[in-house]
Amino acid sequence: MRIYTYGIIDSNANIVEPISGLEGACVYNLPYRNIGAVASKLINQIKEINRDDVLKHEEVVERLMENFTVLPVRFFTTFNQEEEVLVMLKEYYQDFKENLRKLRNKVEFGIRVIWPSETIKNRIVEACKKFNADVTIPDNSPGKSFAKEKFENYKIDKEFAEEADRCIAFLDDFFSRFSAEKKLEKLKSDNLLLNAYYLVEKEKQGDFKEAFERAKNTPGDLKYLFSGPWPPYNFINLNKKPYCFKDFEGIDMLKKEMSNRDLSDKESI
Amino acid sequence: MLRKLWAHLMEYVTTKSKDVTLLEVLDRVLDKGVVISGDLVISLAEIDLIYVGLKVLISSVETMERLRGAPFASPMQEPT
Repeated sequence: MRIYTYGIIDSNANIVEPISGLEGACVYNLPYRNIGAVASKLINQIKEINRDDVLKHEEVVERLMENFTVLPVRFFTTFNQEEEVLVMLKEYYQDFKENLRKLRNKVEFGIRVIWPSETIKNRIVEACKKFNADVTIPDNSPGKSFAKEKFENYKIDKEFAEEADRCIAFLDDFFSRFSAEKKLEKLKSDNLLLNAYYLVEKEKQGDFKEAFERAKNTPGDLKYLFSGPWPPYNFINLNKKPYCFKDFEGIDMLKKEMSNRDLSDKESI
Repeated sequence: MLRKLWAHLMEYVTTKSKDVTLLEVLDRVLDKGVVISGDLVISLAEIDLIYVGLKVLISSVETMERLRGAPFASPMQEPT
C-alpha cells in the first residue's frame, strides 16, 4: 500500500466533506503544524497513466480549492508511508507556507492564442522583396548572393519575432491589468503565438474574463483558447531542492519532534 | 522535438476545439504543481508501462525525460 498525495493545504483540520480519490479511497488530511498534505491510500500499484486517474486527481484538487488554499501536487507523487509525507512537510514547511500565503484567494487562468503564421511570414517576405527591388547589387557574385539570402532570412525571422512581440504586448495589456502574476511563453510553435498563464485574485475573475472577451472581440485573425479557473499549478515556486528518501533518519527525527509538538498548532500562515 | 510535438498538439486542439479540457488538465497535472522529488514519482524504470494514448504518452515521456535528464530514443516508443 502507498500514500498518494493530491495537494498541500493551509489547514491541519480534518476534511469534513467526504471526497473520494483514486481507487475510490477516502481522501484525508495529514497535518503538520498548521498545514496539511491531502492524501488517500492506494492499494494497487499504478502501472499506467489513464484518463480517469488524471481527471480524478484534478477533481480532488478542485474540490479542495473550494474550501482551502491548495498547492496541487504533481500527479503520481506517492509515498511508502504516512511518516514520509510528514518528513516531506517538515522539509518543505517554509516553502509551502510562503506559497500558500502568495496564492491565497487566487486562481490561475490559461490563455492560448493562435495566429496565422504563414500569412504573416508571406506578408513580411513581400515587404522584403519590395524593399530589395529598389536595391541593386553591383557585384552579383555567388558569395554575395548567398550572404544576401542569409541576411534576408535573418531579417524575416527577426521581423516575425518582433511582430509576435508587438502582438503579445497588445494582448497582455488587456490581461495583466487584472492579474497578480503571469507567465508568458512566446511562439512555442510558429502558430502558437502565445501560451500564457495568469494568476488572478478570485474577486477579479469577472474583470479578467471581461478583459479576455474584449481582446477576443478585437478585429483580427487570432484564435483564442481560454481556460480556468484552475488551481495555481504554474505559480508554485519551491526554493528547496527535491527531497529524496535515501535513508529514514528524517522519520525518526520527525517522530521525536511530533511527540513533543502540539499538532493543533494555531500559528497563522 | 518533444516540446515541439506538444506545442503542435496544443495548437491543434486549440484550433479544432477537441479534447481541450483533458489536454489542459494534462498540461498541468502531469507537469506542474508541487514537484517534491523524482524519486517519489512512479519509478522511472517503469516508463515503458506508462501508456494510454499518444497524447498522454507525449506529455508523460516529456516529463519523465526531463526528470531523468536523458533523452528517450523516440517519443513514439511503444510499451513492452
